[in-house]
Amino acid sequence: MSVRAFFLSMALAVAMAVSPAPARMAIAAEEGPVAGTVPGGSLGATSDAEFWREIRRGQPATISIPDPEAAVLIQSEGENWRNIRNGPISLYGGWLLLGLLILISVYFAIRGRITITEGRSGKKIVRFTQWQRIAHWFAAALFVLLSVTGLMLLYGRYGLREVIGPEAFSAVASASMQAHNLFGPLFLVATVILFIYFLRGNFLALVDLKWIVKGGGFLGGHASSHFYNFAEKAWFWMAVLLGLVLSVTGLVLEFPWLLESRLAQQLAHIAHATSALLLVAVGLGHIYLGAIGVEGALEGMTSGEVDANWAKDHHDLWYDDVVKRESAKAAGE
Amino acid sequence: MSFLEFTEGPLWYVALTVFVVGVVWNIVAMLAMRVGSDAAVPRRSPLGGAIKAIFLHSVPHEGFFGRTAYHVIVGYLFHLGLFALLLFGAPHVAFIKEWTGLSWSPLPRWGFIIVSQIAFAGLILMWIRRLTDPIMRQISDRDDHTGTGLTMLAMLTGCFALGEASDFLRALHMLSVEILMLYFPFSRLMHAFTFILSRGFMGAAYGKRGYVP
Repeated sequence: MSVRAFFLSMALAVAMAVSPAPARMAIAAEEGPVAGTVPGGSLGATSDAEFWREIRRGQPATISIPDPEAAVLIQSEGENWRNIRNGPISLYGGWLLLGLLILISVYFAIRGRITITEGRSGKKIVRFTQWQRIAHWFAAALFVLLSVTGLMLLYGRYGLREVIGPEAFSAVASASMQAHNLFGPLFLVATVILFIYFLRGNFLALVDLKWIVKGGGFLGGHASSHFYNFAEKAWFWMAVLLGLVLSVTGLVLEFPWLLESRLAQQLAHIAHATSALLLVAVGLGHIYLGAIGVEGALEGMTSGEVDANWAKDHHDLWYDDVVKRESAKAAGE
Repeated sequence: MSFLEFTEGPLWYVALTVFVVGVVWNIVAMLAMRVGSDAAVPRRSPLGGAIKAIFLHSVPHEGFFGRTAYHVIVGYLFHLGLFALLLFGAPHVAFIKEWTGLSWSPLPRWGFIIVSQIAFAGLILMWIRRLTDPIMRQISDRDDHTGTGLTMLAMLTGCFALGEASDFLRALHMLSVEILMLYFPFSRLMHAFTFILSRGFMGAAYGKRGYVP
């Protein structure tokens, strides 16, 4: 027996042992040649190509240990996951982030900072409580840490690796992964706290439709709104819902024993990356409007108070409510 | 000499010397401060007042619990978390053993991660309060923010090095800890050692008058 014949015999023996569909792989020397099979008996009824194709397709074998995953030699979905992660998610996600940055820059270049129409009145109105500000900044701090480390894990290999070299990049990637895993579970806590403290006033109302029709006043004109406008409400629900998706899928990835399925891990990763990119993209807009784009907006979240004229400009219906409450209170006194 | 050898060698000795000498110097200086003579007859024991104040001020005063609950809770989260990760994190236990020969059982990996998360949450929440509370913002100065920032940096670089995958990350953590140690004796971070003295002093003064708030 030649060496080649010996190994082919061994391969045949293995194929017979692991095959879940023995009928398909059974030796059928007495049968005539059919497509995909090899006539004769020396190589069995199934060709090498078909045998390996079955393995490549992820066909599970019969094994004696109680681990269903061990029966699969090649998990083909893994390759699909890798292609989706490094393909559409990275590509379109990158374009989304880059596109939004360009859009924000162009908008800022054309429109500039949106100033308070009548200037500052000097009169302050309480907008956010201390607890709301703490909830916001706690989530924001974690959001920034997780965004930077997450983007490093997704995109670092395409740019930074070329600049600093593979060894230094492996240190950066390791640091990013450790920080991402450590801060991730805290983000779930932050998201729940955020939801509790900001739920009130974030339900959709008819006035939001009018706000949408008027383009939120970003292209000129005035769009009325209560305490939160439609964009703020949309951001709140996105932050909460995508935050929850991110947190849950993140926990599945960090603690694989929660779902003992490789496919679930891969789907969780795709959902995690997609929702993260969406949240970061919209978050860029939120950061721009809150910190740079709209005069007086940031103060609401730092000191808790906003200028009365700012409130009139951006949340006139809320401002009217505040004035009415104050008048009623003064009349009562 | 590599970056790691530098941070675990000469720089470590310098930082440790400055830290130990600075802390001891501060404590000795405080103990040596002369207190004006008081001829009044003590109503109660100054020592009893000192001990009472040291322990009593570790729990919130019942009359102010609502107002102080936040910083009491997040303060304990941070300090206990930091204490646990500093003394019971496996890499720290190994480091202490390497330098002193002393060793004890470290926390399991999951425990180390949880106390780290608690410490980080506490520190971030304390810093946010310092930045957003109108009164805290007024009374906080550069030293407070520098101390908090350096502590955060040391913890963050420690978090980066959790994978123990790179000498550079270990050296970076050592460097940030050494900067913190160099800054420590000259800042309010000294409260880690002096809180007993300051509470004791105040407690003794009040105890002598027969009342410890």
